[in-house]
Amino acid sequence: MSPQLTLQTPLQLPPAEIPNYLSKLWSNDDSGNKGSNTFCLIIWQPAWMEQKLVKSHRVNGPIIGNQRLDLVEAARQVVLDEELPHSTPPLDESVHSTVSLNKTEHKVEDLRGQHIDSAISDLKPRRLITLAPTIEEVNELETLVAAYCPLPEEGGGSSACGDVVVFRGALNALKHGLNIVEKVIPEKLPSWLWWNGSLNEAPELLERLTTSTRRIILDTALGDPDRCLNFLQEKIKKGQAINDLNWLRLRTWRETLAMVFDPLLRRKALESVVKLDIDIEGNHPVQGLLLTAWIADRLNWKLLECTTNEVGLLQGKFERFDKTIITSTLTPLPIGHPSIHPGAIVGLRLICEPNQKPKDAICVILAAESGECMRLEAGGMARMELIEEVVPSQSNSLEMDVARLLSSSRGSTSPLLASAAPIANKLLNLSKSN
Amino acid sequence: MNVSLPITNPLRIGLRQERVIPPQCLVIFGASGDLTHRKLVPALFELYKQRRLPSEFALIGCARRPWSNEEFRQRMEKALKDKVERNKNEWDNFAKCLFYVPVDLQKEEDVLRLKDKLEEIDQKKATHSNRTFYLSVSPKFYGSGCKSLASAGLLGDPKRSRVVIEKPFGRDYKTAQALNQLVQTCAQENQIFRIDHYLGKETVQNILVLRFANTIFEPIWNRNFISSVQITSAETVGVEDRAGYYETSGALRDMVQNHLTQMLTLTAMEPPGHFDPEAIRNEKAKVLQSARLANEHEPWKCCVRGQYSKGGSQGYPLIGYRDEPGVAPTSTTETFVATKLFVDNWRWQGVPFYIRTGKRLAKRLSEIVLTFREAPVHLFDAAGGCPTSNQLILRIQPNEGAEFKFEVKSPGSGMRSRPVEMEFSYDESFGEPSDEGYVRLLADAMLGDPTLFTRSDEVEAAWRLYTPLLELIEDSPWQLPIYQYESRTWGPSESDQLLAKDNLLWRRP
Repeated sequence: MSPQLTLQTPLQLPPAEIPNYLSKLWSNDDSGNKGSNTFCLIIWQPAWMEQKLVKSHRVNGPIIGNQRLDLVEAARQVVLDEELPHSTPPLDESVHSTVSLNKTEHKVEDLRGQHIDSAISDLKPRRLITLAPTIEEVNELETLVAAYCPLPEEGGGSSACGDVVVFRGALNALKHGLNIVEKVIPEKLPSWLWWNGSLNEAPELLERLTTSTRRIILDTALGDPDRCLNFLQEKIKKGQAINDLNWLRLRTWRETLAMVFDPLLRRKALESVVKLDIDIEGNHPVQGLLLTAWIADRLNWKLLECTTNEVGLLQGKFERFDKTIITSTLTPLPIGHPSIHPGAIVGLRLICEPNQKPKDAICVILAAESGECMRLEAGGMARMELIEEVVPSQSNSLEMDVARLLSSSRGSTSPLLASAAPIANKLLNLSKSN
Repeated sequence: MNVSLPITNPLRIGLRQERVIPPQCLVIFGASGDLTHRKLVPALFELYKQRRLPSEFALIGCARRPWSNEEFRQRMEKALKDKVERNKNEWDNFAKCLFYVPVDLQKEEDVLRLKDKLEEIDQKKATHSNRTFYLSVSPKFYGSGCKSLASAGLLGDPKRSRVVIEKPFGRDYKTAQALNQLVQTCAQENQIFRIDHYLGKETVQNILVLRFANTIFEPIWNRNFISSVQITSAETVGVEDRAGYYETSGALRDMVQNHLTQMLTLTAMEPPGHFDPEAIRNEKAKVLQSARLANEHEPWKCCVRGQYSKGGSQGYPLIGYRDEPGVAPTSTTETFVATKLFVDNWRWQGVPFYIRTGKRLAKRLSEIVLTFREAPVHLFDAAGGCPTSNQLILRIQPNEGAEFKFEVKSPGSGMRSRPVEMEFSYDESFGEPSDEGYVRLLADAMLGDPTLFTRSDEVEAAWRLYTPLLELIEDSPWQLPIYQYESRTWGPSESDQLLAKDNLLWRRP
């Protein structure tokens, strides 16, 4: 499905006039349409990489803010051109910071907030508010507003169901405009914030926008791991609804591992796990930590300690219900063609050794479809029953994942994430303190 | 099997990727009744525990009794005692979504008062005017109930309001047709959800997956390879406290016209073009249009009715149907029925479908048995005298799963064959128990997904199929006599003769 544009060219209005204009927008509709009664989505949409690549002519404009293939390919080319390590994730901050802009003025159309992915527009959001920071230091805040409706693929069409509001300008200008942003968020509808950027950036804005009643969508693969896990845990502790795209991407790993132990005769083996090894791409450990934490939580392991070494290998120790020690290892690997998501899991190995019956030991190896598991297959596992599964890659775009969360979350944090995040955070903190 | 093995896979808990119901207000009429506390509220609580209910959710119980919100909550808590004790915090939160409004559906002012309450709850719980009305009332109020709702303007928005109607939908073809016409004047067909809880069972839905997600079954799923089909739904319990209803209904109306016929349609239907509610229901309706009693002109020749008599043991005696409280001592209501059908289409022409159901039978089970044709030449001696036909058995309940019976070589120097069973069990293969049918169906109704609900033409066609039998029972019951059978047996011996005429036997599971 292709992204959809607003019905009309957005109207540029002075920021102060926006709340008043929006309140009249629907009352003037002759058909009596009052707009959909669904939710409001606020999107932090920096699109730093896209801004730089479009402005440096590495990809064609306009800037739309949606994840697209040509952008990722151009970013991979930057990694090669700038001789960055091949294992650098293409959308990493280190990649776009190396892209230099020409001094010559090159006016690029910026359609952020007006180019709505159909996965999201299908849900008929009542109001989409996009905060679009610019790389230029433009102090003036630009505000645009338009009505929109999702157009069905098979034609036809429906009446307008919502509106879009775009706030565009430099970071400072956006900060100053926050009062107006807050005024245009409908009070009676659930509101979501999708922080589509690193958690390190614009902390003041992030804090202001994540009020206690707002449901948050973020990606803990973006930003400093400590910051990501602390933020996650803090919001969970406060009872705020928080959804993590990095956690969502783990679903096929969780499902595949659960599937291995679905047959009744294998379930007993879960009580005799002695070792867990997880390989991840690069140095961002959050996804690996969350998977480790989920397993530990589900199997009632008690975390004892965690250490790290100079190459970022994290080694944890857990205690099983029968006091047996379980070791977990998180190994960062340099991958030649990395995923766009930093720290994506490459493989998992789980070894179960019943004390009484060593002959019944089993070794479960899960490997990402895109990777390989030869490293995990080595190490004397031949004496065990080997169960190997390939974990399917997910080709969903970021927007599709967000739409999935918007349509499937009932406005609270997943209990599995709520239980796993504190363990993941503790693992990381212990590794730092040792 | 080792009993100490965990029932649920701990890694499986919470992993379901289910559709989440949109903001919703569910109104149950007949909230003081048995179904509400035995099935509906437990199913909703299960949905709540599975985090499938939205935070913007309200359940309004309606009945004539003058209960308060608090009293309704307490009664439901008491009814769900075991579940509540295990999940006290969750129940306390769920109970906050429960409300009660005393309503007599026949009184206009009561329905208007309910409308005001719904608007108030819309504001309070942000349910966006999405409303599902569940008619768990006496069947005689289905039509007037829909009319009252429509008159109050509560069914006016086809995208936001829908009505769920319990079985039985009519007593025969004519009454079902009249009821359809009446409810269709109150709401559009896509707002009407006729519920058959059998369709909510995982194993019934699995018939579709087994047939249409595998390439090995569909090529042999026809008259060229299958010689007969048996569909059985057997209960060990008697009429219990439902004598009042059962006396006016009987096994044919209570079980065959709906549950067993739905299993028949799923077994016999053609593959739909795509997995779409209308495509599936079109194919099911086509099966019913092609189905007929094996002998429509002399229907007594293809049907056996029975009634349980006393039985059991000295220590555990069981009374007969006519001695049950609320049952007439001369009752001719059938508690057992077995019949033979044909589906006259290219796929099934000439293949008999045997259907039986009964109370106080030897075992509690529901299953579909597809018996394959015999091998054309018997090359080997069989341990049992002659080789048994291959059978595919779909176990609907209990011990949900499937098994396939086929011949293998018996160990030894000769070449003797004997049958063995290859088995799939839901409990052993999946790390979590299946949901009750109502969990799935209530969720689907609130999602507005009609796939597992019966369309008007299906209901009418199902009644039409059994009309010759119903007319016979009404007009000349002596032609379809009631045979007594001992409690906890497999029904009257006449039902065995129904198959014996075709050189077949009922499967004894």
